[in-house]
Amino acid sequence: MLKYTLRRILGMIPMLFLISVVVFTLALAMPGDPFSGEIDPNNTDPEYIEEMREKLGLNDPIHVQYGRWITNFVQGDFGKSTRYKMPVSDLIAERMPNTIFLGVTSLAITYILAFAMGMYAGRRPYTPGDHFIGGFNYFGLAIPSYIAGVFAIYLFSFQLGWIPFQGSVDITLEKGTLDYWISKIHHVITPAIVLGLLSTASYTQFLRNDIIENSRKDFVRTARAKGTPERKIYNVHILRNSVIPLITFLGFDIVTLVNGAIITEAIFTYPGIGQLFLSSVTNQDYPVLMTLTMMFSFLVLLGNLIADILYGVVDPRIRLD
Amino acid sequence: MKNKKSLYWLLAMLLGLSLVVAACGGDEASDTDETDNTTDNTEQNDSTDTNDTSNDSDENQSDSNEPKKGGTMVFGVDSEPEGLFNWAFYGIVTDADIISLFDEGLIEYDENLKPQPNLATWETEDNKTFTFKFKEGVKWHNGDELTVHDWVFALETIAHPDYDGPRYANVQTIEGAEAYRNGEADSISGVEVIDDYTIKITFDKARVNNLTNLWTYPMNRTAFEGIPVAEMSGSDPVRRNPVGLGPYKVENIIPGESVELVPFEDYWNGEPKLDKIIVKVVDRSSVLGALENGEIDFITVHPSMGPQVEKMNNADLVTYPGLAYYYVGFKLGKFDNESLEIVEKYDKYANKNLRKAMYYAIDRETWIDAFFSGYGKPVNRPVPSAHWIAADDSELNTYPYDPEKAKQLLDEAGYVDVNGDGWREDPNGDEFVVKFSHYDVGDPQYEARAKALTQYWNDIGLKTELDMVEVNLYYEMIEKDNPEIEVFYGGWGTGADPDPSALWKSDALWNYTRYDNPESDQLLDDALDIDIVGTSDEKRKDLYVEWQKIVNEDLPMLYITELEETVAVSKRMGGMEFAVSGWNNPVEWYIAE
Amino acid sequence: MEVLTEKNTKQTPSKPPKSMSPWAIARRKFVRNKLAMVSSFFLLTVMIMSFLAPYITTIDITRVNIGQMSLPPSGEHWLGTDKSGRDVFVRLLYGGRVSLTVGIAATALIVVFGTVIGSIAGYFGGVVDSVLMRFTDFILNFPFLVFVIVLNAILFGKLSGVWVLIVVISVLGWGGVARLVRSKILSEKENEYILAAISIGCKPSKVIIKHLLPNVLSTIIVQATILFATMIVAESGLSYLGFGVPTEVPSWGNMLSTSRDPDVMQNMPWTWIPPAVVLTLTILSINFIGEGIKDALNPKSYR
Repeated sequence: MLKYTLRRILGMIPMLFLISVVVFTLALAMPGDPFSGEIDPNNTDPEYIEEMREKLGLNDPIHVQYGRWITNFVQGDFGKSTRYKMPVSDLIAERMPNTIFLGVTSLAITYILAFAMGMYAGRRPYTPGDHFIGGFNYFGLAIPSYIAGVFAIYLFSFQLGWIPFQGSVDITLEKGTLDYWISKIHHVITPAIVLGLLSTASYTQFLRNDIIENSRKDFVRTARAKGTPERKIYNVHILRNSVIPLITFLGFDIVTLVNGAIITEAIFTYPGIGQLFLSSVTNQDYPVLMTLTMMFSFLVLLGNLIADILYGVVDPRIRLD
Repeated sequence: MKNKKSLYWLLAMLLGLSLVVAACGGDEASDTDETDNTTDNTEQNDSTDTNDTSNDSDENQSDSNEPKKGGTMVFGVDSEPEGLFNWAFYGIVTDADIISLFDEGLIEYDENLKPQPNLATWETEDNKTFTFKFKEGVKWHNGDELTVHDWVFALETIAHPDYDGPRYANVQTIEGAEAYRNGEADSISGVEVIDDYTIKITFDKARVNNLTNLWTYPMNRTAFEGIPVAEMSGSDPVRRNPVGLGPYKVENIIPGESVELVPFEDYWNGEPKLDKIIVKVVDRSSVLGALENGEIDFITVHPSMGPQVEKMNNADLVTYPGLAYYYVGFKLGKFDNESLEIVEKYDKYANKNLRKAMYYAIDRETWIDAFFSGYGKPVNRPVPSAHWIAADDSELNTYPYDPEKAKQLLDEAGYVDVNGDGWREDPNGDEFVVKFSHYDVGDPQYEARAKALTQYWNDIGLKTELDMVEVNLYYEMIEKDNPEIEVFYGGWGTGADPDPSALWKSDALWNYTRYDNPESDQLLDDALDIDIVGTSDEKRKDLYVEWQKIVNEDLPMLYITELEETVAVSKRMGGMEFAVSGWNNPVEWYIAE
Repeated sequence: MEVLTEKNTKQTPSKPPKSMSPWAIARRKFVRNKLAMVSSFFLLTVMIMSFLAPYITTIDITRVNIGQMSLPPSGEHWLGTDKSGRDVFVRLLYGGRVSLTVGIAATALIVVFGTVIGSIAGYFGGVVDSVLMRFTDFILNFPFLVFVIVLNAILFGKLSGVWVLIVVISVLGWGGVARLVRSKILSEKENEYILAAISIGCKPSKVIIKHLLPNVLSTIIVQATILFATMIVAESGLSYLGFGVPTEVPSWGNMLSTSRDPDVMQNMPWTWIPPAVVLTLTILSINFIGEGIKDALNPKSYR
């Protein structure tokens, strides 16, 4: 297992390298540069812009720029944002906690909802409750997350006034106090639900079907015959078997969260990594754009790796080597 | 954006129209960035001189209530600040707005955009050497007293070779700045400290606009102590703990989200009345909701939201004159970037009657009502009406909507439909298609208003095609005279100094139309020539009026509109005043209720 | 489940067992699936109306009507007009045309490309397989949304309108199909009939096309329906963010993106709720159809 993991991690390096080459070339092929449009006839002059371009090396050939960038990158120097004028690593460190908080909350909500609904539906298949949950699932799978987000803001923020429509926390609160954390949760809850909608629906579906299938298995019959209480059969015997395959989804969740965060953060104006990414594209803030793309690619690779490893852990029949 | 304060020429193209960016995920309006170059001497204006140019609806709110103390004001901004909270380093208007709450400059501008003393007074004999006298006892937020050394520090920072902000142009006219920047001198020779409160600035030559061009924001020396210039823009005194001179001081910053400001007890010019100002980033899609729920007390809004704000029970719409104009330009030639001259002339739109016909074809009033909710008016010159050099419409052609006249002009110019396909051909009988370009930032309204313009031209028989171009690419193409760009939409913002040379002279890169008229160049030069105009604003204005008559007749561009600035102010706010130069000193603001 | 099985065994004797091809059986199963049929009907209606839109209405949809802006629904404008004075209903139809075109074209490209790569890799194995699969991994490891956004920003203006988006999402989207087809082909090619075909000297192309592909077709079809839905969501999501089809092209995503204007969001719900609803229903019905096809093609399921 360890050997396999190490080999996979080593295998990620050429992949990341290739991705970096592609992205870098693509990014520089974008029309304009961070200075296009930066015109202020009285205060700046064409010479200033030309000088800054020269200073940032934007006039060098692409391979030279790439070489410089990758050398620094490998040494942990991600450069300085052309827009925020601060080191990219600081910038990301500033936003990262928000995105992680969003992702973790979303995962937690997903699992809680999926378990509650999946177990309920799996235990009482073909009842109205099951059909209701089934309907919700179909809906959850079909409605694009940004539409859900727009509806949520329209309904809960504007019409009902239940939730804040932007930001990650109320600034007036003292950092670290209980109110502060409550405010954070208050801000994150709706984006987190919207972000987790798709996974919630598919996990619920999966859990329900698996529970139904398992409940017909021999070990359940045996347990019933032994007189084990029905509650215990479902909550212990069946659940344990149904949860295991679910764990392997964790790796894919990382991928989903990466892509989902971009849209969700945009809709809710939630200041996280996704928003930073979108703004770096529009502003052609290459250092940020490149670092984030590399980070996303790395996370995707990592997610796939975790998924594969978990497969192996959960199902010993799958040989990894 | 839009508001304010940008007393300089700023690229307003997108300015104003902050609708922006669906594209960018909300905040970060691409708009913001491109445009905002702007500003710099954005200054703080004191309430004392910026009274009521605002034709706002709620004058009474300030009269009926005595200024009260206490309360928290939520100050909304519709795009994310970059977090560069220092005059010398900021890049976008959002940041400038926030800085203006806690810092101010040596001079300020009145409602006629004339400089007025604020922290310092000045004297000059010859417009070359200025003596500034600082007020004594003015305190920085960290307790230091303001002296001329803080200003020298700011000037030397900006002139430093490692300085990475865009403000060097405001310092380079000082004698010796160039040498200092090139490392040939240890200090700027034109800066002469006389005592802690008196300083003499000598420029490299006498100009009529030396003062308005000068950098007048001191920087606190102790805060930046030990920080090399190259690292300043990312340092704490810029990003986390800015130290200013204004009535409020920064208490806490959550990057990209909000800023908390509290009163500064030792403020020199009155007593701040609010307990707190919270600056909050509000996505433009949430602006109206937030206003309605009373979650924000102030925010700049796009004109198209104006009618909604007017309907609200708890907020008022305040409008004040803006400093930007929008135009449809014609590429008349090609510019050579090296030799700085127009090297080639294009024929396609060279016929003045064609351009006039296209002008008469546009129903500007209706168009402005439709796309800017009427918060703007047609303009016939490349100078906003609020500016002191603006020529009166009675001296200009006004080009009212008159499709019949447009058709007649086209007929006379030889643009007639010879092959019966319903579209006019050019005088040689060849197919003639107007190619109109407009920038695209992902906002559907931009496309609609551009399309509406093409329809006006279609209606007079000129076949017109619309091309929406991604905004970054758009400006690059315009600047480089890409042949794909023929007729284009744009906007310019103007600042305190009225000089339009950078946008109109035939040797200027930003003269996008490549308009080449020696007479115009001469007038623009004369208006800056101290030997011709001396210190007389009247003389200077006369020359600019002459110039406006010429460009109003020549029409290298069709001047479309100037927009009003529109801001939403909660009914509970008192003491807020707006003028062409921006809002008044926040020290006057209070919560009435 | 048991009950159904019983019913089915009862029926089986009555139907002539040999006369029906597997496809006919599938068709019959599908037709009996009410949800799938209703969905098909809905999807067909949407498609027909969208694609016939230019023939149904004579209105110039690009025309901006200054006098008719922001009108609520009325007899003249069934779903009102948007801020440009354009009829929302007509735009909904035209928008469907664009969104569905993107969905169909991208799905088609992805399926073709993915199948070609997947079957070649699966059939030949060895070096070919590992090279192609490494490449597939490479593509799959791009964070999809991130790359679409960057690529689209680059290609903007270089290709005309909608096709940029189609090309971009296709180029990045075929990895999954290729993997799936490869694994199916891998297991299928171990069957005796394939070995027989190869041994009598059939050309690889013939073996793949005539023998292997028909047997993995059902998997591909099911995958294609899922893809179709995904691609429509991708188009609208990207357009919503402003990185999709150009703003002047009406598409469901572009119509929805107008809701980013607070005025539209709060006061003109008639402009953005219809595309939101139609889009959601379309995805829902595609999902149901996909399930229906999966059931129908699964010999073990009884419906």
